[in-house]
Amino acid sequence: MTDLTPTPDTIARLRDEFGAELAAAETDRALQAVRDRYLARKGGVIAALMKAVAAAAPEARPALGKLTNDLKTDIEARVAEKRAALDASRAPAGAVDVTLPGRLTPLGHRHPLTVVRDQMEDIFTRMGFAIVEGPEVEDEWHCFDALNMPAEHPARDMQDTLYLASPLKGDGGADDVRTLLRTHTSSMQIRYMQAHTPPIRIVVPGRVYRRDDLDLTHTPAFSQVEGLVVGEGISLADLKGTLTAFARDIFGPRSRLRFRPSFFPYTEPSAEVDISCWKCDGAGCAMCKRSGWLEILGCGMVHPAVFESVGYDAERYTGFAWGMGIERVAILRYQVEDIRLFYENDLRFLEQFPY
Amino acid sequence: MRLLVSWVRDFVDVAASPEEIAEKLSMRGFEVASIEPMPGGDAVIDFEVTANRPDCLSVLGFAREIATMYELPVHLPVDLPSSESGAKIALRSTAAGDSERLKVSVEDTELCPRYAAAIADVTPGASPAWLTSRLQAAGVRPISPIVDITNYVLIELGHPLHAFDLAKLAGAELRIRRAKRGEIITTLDGVERKLEPEMLVIADANRAQAIAGVMGGAASEVSQATTVVAFESAYFKPASVRRTSKRLGLKTEASSRFERGADVSVPVVALERAIALMEQLGAGRMSGPIVDRYPHVRQPAQLYLRRARLAQLLGTEVADREVERILRHLGLGVTATPDGWDVIAPTFRVDLSREVDLIEEVGRHHGFDVLAPTFPAQTAPAPPPDPRIPRDRLVRRVLTAAGLSEAVTFGFIEAKAAEAFARGTAAGLVNIANPLSAKFDTLRASLLPGVVDSVAHNRRHGRADVGLFEIGARFSSIDGETRGVGLAWTGHAADDWKSGSRSVDFFDVKGVVERLCGALGVSLRFEPIESTGTPFLVPGQAAAVFADGAAGKDAAGGVRAGVIGLLAPAIADERGAPRQDEIFVAELNLDVLWAGRTPRDEAVAPLPRHPFVVRDLSIVVADTLPAEIISGTIHTAGRALAAPLIGVRFFDRYQGKSVPGGKVSLSVRLTFQAPDRTLTDADVQESFDRIVAALAGAHGAVQR
Ligand SMILES: [Zn+2]
Repeated sequence: MTDLTPTPDTIARLRDEFGAELAAAETDRALQAVRDRYLARKGGVIAALMKAVAAAAPEARPALGKLTNDLKTDIEARVAEKRAALDASRAPAGAVDVTLPGRLTPLGHRHPLTVVRDQMEDIFTRMGFAIVEGPEVEDEWHCFDALNMPAEHPARDMQDTLYLASPLKGDGGADDVRTLLRTHTSSMQIRYMQAHTPPIRIVVPGRVYRRDDLDLTHTPAFSQVEGLVVGEGISLADLKGTLTAFARDIFGPRSRLRFRPSFFPYTEPSAEVDISCWKCDGAGCAMCKRSGWLEILGCGMVHPAVFESVGYDAERYTGFAWGMGIERVAILRYQVEDIRLFYENDLRFLEQFPY
Repeated sequence: MRLLVSWVRDFVDVAASPEEIAEKLSMRGFEVASIEPMPGGDAVIDFEVTANRPDCLSVLGFAREIATMYELPVHLPVDLPSSESGAKIALRSTAAGDSERLKVSVEDTELCPRYAAAIADVTPGASPAWLTSRLQAAGVRPISPIVDITNYVLIELGHPLHAFDLAKLAGAELRIRRAKRGEIITTLDGVERKLEPEMLVIADANRAQAIAGVMGGAASEVSQATTVVAFESAYFKPASVRRTSKRLGLKTEASSRFERGADVSVPVVALERAIALMEQLGAGRMSGPIVDRYPHVRQPAQLYLRRARLAQLLGTEVADREVERILRHLGLGVTATPDGWDVIAPTFRVDLSREVDLIEEVGRHHGFDVLAPTFPAQTAPAPPPDPRIPRDRLVRRVLTAAGLSEAVTFGFIEAKAAEAFARGTAAGLVNIANPLSAKFDTLRASLLPGVVDSVAHNRRHGRADVGLFEIGARFSSIDGETRGVGLAWTGHAADDWKSGSRSVDFFDVKGVVERLCGALGVSLRFEPIESTGTPFLVPGQAAAVFADGAAGKDAAGGVRAGVIGLLAPAIADERGAPRQDEIFVAELNLDVLWAGRTPRDEAVAPLPRHPFVVRDLSIVVADTLPAEIISGTIHTAGRALAAPLIGVRFFDRYQGKSVPGGKVSLSVRLTFQAPDRTLTDADVQESFDRIVAALAGAHGAVQR
């Protein structure tokens, strides 16, 4: 039993003992035990000490009483402090490891060809274009004849076009017989013009087919975005302005375009368009084969024969059209070396593209 | 076209470097494939010549383009290089008439509007080095002086010539006629070819000696022993040459020029050029006149170019003298009128037939780059997009949000794959008539073969969990072209650090399908498919999906919109996925779903003001009884009850201890609510009892 003879020395010794015990108490239960040992109303050390002080000599009582009270206050404060420290160090109830992953299935990914196509559609929508789609199985007239490609035109050779072994019925009545896979989305220009009157401002995304082998740079099927503007007074300068605005939007504001004259049966004048290489800004690098330019699309003023085939007044209306390969843009943009990656659907590839 | 720069300098005094010439021509419509340096600062520029410019399959054609670029004259006639005498020899003027040594008769003037020929006695010898090196630079192999001369003229003027060994021609005659049915010729390449009556041939008295405009015959080929030759210089109908060349699968330098359109005015000039060359080289001497059969002389095209139209189409004004300069340098006749120009397009420019062709010529040489870009004025609001655009975007968003990634596969597949997914269904497969490979010989009637192949690709590369979908066209002789979405999912549906992992099952895929249709606003019905219905799915885990709102409903009020189920292991195996894989698939016709959207009342319903009451019910029924039928019975019984039934939800299905064999325990949560009052316990109990009684009556259900 602790000696409780009330002297200043005893009180000092008790303070030291309490300090050591408090320091050793690392759990709530241990702290409570220390507290009870000193502060319990019945049998507590302080209570016993107070009793002893009351029994001490009258002249010593005031000083001893003060010392004892100070000790009690000190113990109470330090117990409270220690309790707060223990509370603070302990994880709260129901705590979780917030760094563990959440439970929803991770998002899937859009295909890169869709990412590029969506972006193109959005840009042209802002420019006032309507986005329309057409059938992939077509007839010769919409795919060739109406586009100023008469029967003996080289583009109609079996080399390029895939024909169906048995024709498919279209939705245009008994005469609507579809015999081939469209080689370009331009066939939809014809369908749209047949159904609408100018002014026309459309963009036609879609799949097209060619009789090509599958290799690093070719696929027998690919995706195009076709554009058509028809109205009164539409000029080649308007074509340049429209495509330049598009290119700066999708490839960056520093983009420059170069229009090289070319030949397509359904446009005249016709041009191939190169864009300044965005990797080297036109200085020349491996991507642009040191030329500073990347070929991205073909375009031109709609040939009057095309207007005549859909019954438009080719004198009154002029227009322009372009066709652009989505794979081509995606290959350049994402620096894809092998076009077949777009069709293997390897998740390690797809997961590199946004939701 | 391989253009030797020193050769073109025979025609035009251009001082610029080959690189500069190539660069400037590339901006005028002639794409440069390569520039090969040659000794002495010379070079060969390999140009791609577009199909509309057969005149530029020649040195002379490029000379005109270069002359226009640099504002220089074109020299005609032409000096021969290193001519020993130094004399200017170009064309040998000749008299026309009939030859005593060769009879020429054109029996089909439609396919052969012009035929010219000349006879020459040949002197044996060899071609000089300058000639053979020019031919080699142009990509032509030197053979013998006579053949080399015809090739030289071909490259220089762009006009194909042919030389026959006159001694080999029976009857010393050339008859230009259609081939006889079954007629056979061995061409210069040693191949025996069967001809058809639509093909034009050059024959002697007995048989075909050349296929007109395509290739000569071996029997009358010029050889070392040849002493007399007949040069042919003709114009054949382009469509006829194209058809014959295509039919025979035989493309030659000659056919590629004739089929695009040779110059009908040039045959005699080309002969004169060949004879001049031959005589200068000492390779032979002409004998007699040039025979020229040209019954209907073709006039050059007379065109009109309006100044205002030119400015309107290009979007810029071009100065008159610039217009005239360009057209004249290109060899066109130009006469100014008050509002434009009368233009004569020479016969070598087969591409110039209307005003816009002239506008292109002016634009091409004026330069597209100098046009200031403008943005076309919008004079009408844009119509809404094709509804498939926002629809497919929504479908894509829902499926990617569900964790599936988007695949893109080809619209054609191998027949084996197409058939595996079509067996037992009326798929109406469509084949491709001229496939390049058996891997792509059938149009897909379903998106599943492509998506499943993509899953297999990922599984072979060690990927455990694969979920893919594709939105695309499907083709069938029954339904035509439709747009669908196909999806395939294998591996883990949930892989969680707390609850662990669980394999994908039917209800994961069904959940995705339901969510998709929820987003589209379509209500669906699922019906089990009989085992024989779709052999590519496992019986018992396969359902047909019906869209309830669609037009053309079936007896049950829906239209079949697709299928869902577990892929048959044999097919997964055949497509290269590991055999133990469970691949769940679904395919939906988006056109049908879109048409089947339930119209929505836009006005909102008021929120209920009285509380709802929930009662749970557990019943034991036969385990073959579909939940949908039970909920149908509950809904029917729940009509017009004291306590209106507003919700039925299954929350447990249990088989095992305490449930007899062949039976199942189902737990259903019923929700009751009245719009106008608070329900009493008595109301709810009465309704609950009626439902229990109905279930007992209809299905022998026993309440647990
Ligand atoms: Zn670059």
